[in-house]
Amino acid sequence: MTVPPARIFSLAMLAAAVVAAAGTALAHHSFAMFDQTKQITLSGTVSAFEWTNPHAYIEIDVPDEKGVVKHWSVEMGSPSILMQSGWKFKDLKHGDKVTVRISPLKDGKLGGLLVQATLPDGRVMGNGPGRGPAQPTAGAPNQ
Amino acid sequence: MIRSEKAFLRLVLFAIWSAAVLSSFVYGQSNTNTPDFSGAWGPYRGGRGADPKLAAPPATPLAMKPEYAKPYEARRAAEAAANNRGEPLATASSACVPYGMPSMMSVAVYPIEIIQTPKQVTIIAEAFSEVRRVYVGKPQQKIDDVPPGYYGRSVGRWESDTLVIDTVGIKQSVQYQRMPHSDQIHIIERMRLVAPDVLHDQITIEDPVVLEKPYTYTLAYRRMPDYEMVEFVCDNNREYVDDQGVVRLRVREK
Repeated sequence: MTVPPARIFSLAMLAAAVVAAAGTALAHHSFAMFDQTKQITLSGTVSAFEWTNPHAYIEIDVPDEKGVVKHWSVEMGSPSILMQSGWKFKDLKHGDKVTVRISPLKDGKLGGLLVQATLPDGRVMGNGPGRGPAQPTAGAPNQ
Repeated sequence: MIRSEKAFLRLVLFAIWSAAVLSSFVYGQSNTNTPDFSGAWGPYRGGRGADPKLAAPPATPLAMKPEYAKPYEARRAAEAAANNRGEPLATASSACVPYGMPSMMSVAVYPIEIIQTPKQVTIIAEAFSEVRRVYVGKPQQKIDDVPPGYYGRSVGRWESDTLVIDTVGIKQSVQYQRMPHSDQIHIIERMRLVAPDVLHDQITIEDPVVLEKPYTYTLAYRRMPDYEMVEFVCDNNREYVDDQGVVRLRVREK
């Protein structure tokens, strides 16, 4: 199989970008506590939308298949990072119905990292630049 | 008489010009060629649409003395293994402690803001609202006279189009990429526009105790003309460190 030179070039550029990002960028914390190889979808009712630093959170009550409601904490980027991908601080409020796709915590607690959210008005939102819904697993490893 | 008046006038003009040149030299104030770095700057990323000539050059090899390199490598390996297990080890930022110098100059995709005046260049990082002040034209103090802190003491001088910043007084717990350093750490930055809207900050870390040779890396920024810096106060930190030193996320029960 031959790989077109343009593809090799773009792969090389991507590799260079990842290396460059890993060499200089720091973030508030490692995302290793989340299992980013998995994604689960939750639909429920927002109990709180916390537009805070170092991370924003969606607190959500989710009924399971038997109708038992469990509470989940969904971590997002920071307000600055979310605003760069179109989020606003009033996009969710107590009582809103929302569907979120998350990478769950590895320790089994009911929490996860937002991949994408479907808002009550139908908009589908990501979790900051490079973490948009079109590329749910994209993003620099250390962001 | 007229002839001597002219000579006197010439002498006065020369004296004024000399004073201006001298004060510009002494105070580091700019001449008309000094570029203006004021404004918000985000990371300049490589990849599609980016000009490779404006991207940051690669870092120099990290040459640490063996007695420091061994524990550093061991720590990096332990950190990588912990991340693979999904149990990241605690860092200063787990407790919302600021990054300090030089890490604060590049935190994820957060911008920095530069406020430039002739005597002071102020750099504000959006992440954690960190602030450093560069006193332009002031002499540096001896390292041992500067109380160690997160940002140290920075002085700057203009070398043509480049702002050269000299920083000492970084406390040992403030580390870049977990690199250990001694109280003799000395950071030299060379900041210049490589294009009208692209800024490079070449950062060199010198440490005669820990490093075999200085370590240099470069950060590239793009100008964000309309950007308004966003508030960042770390008042909802849900991370905690368990008794094994592992960072966990505190989830709510309801």
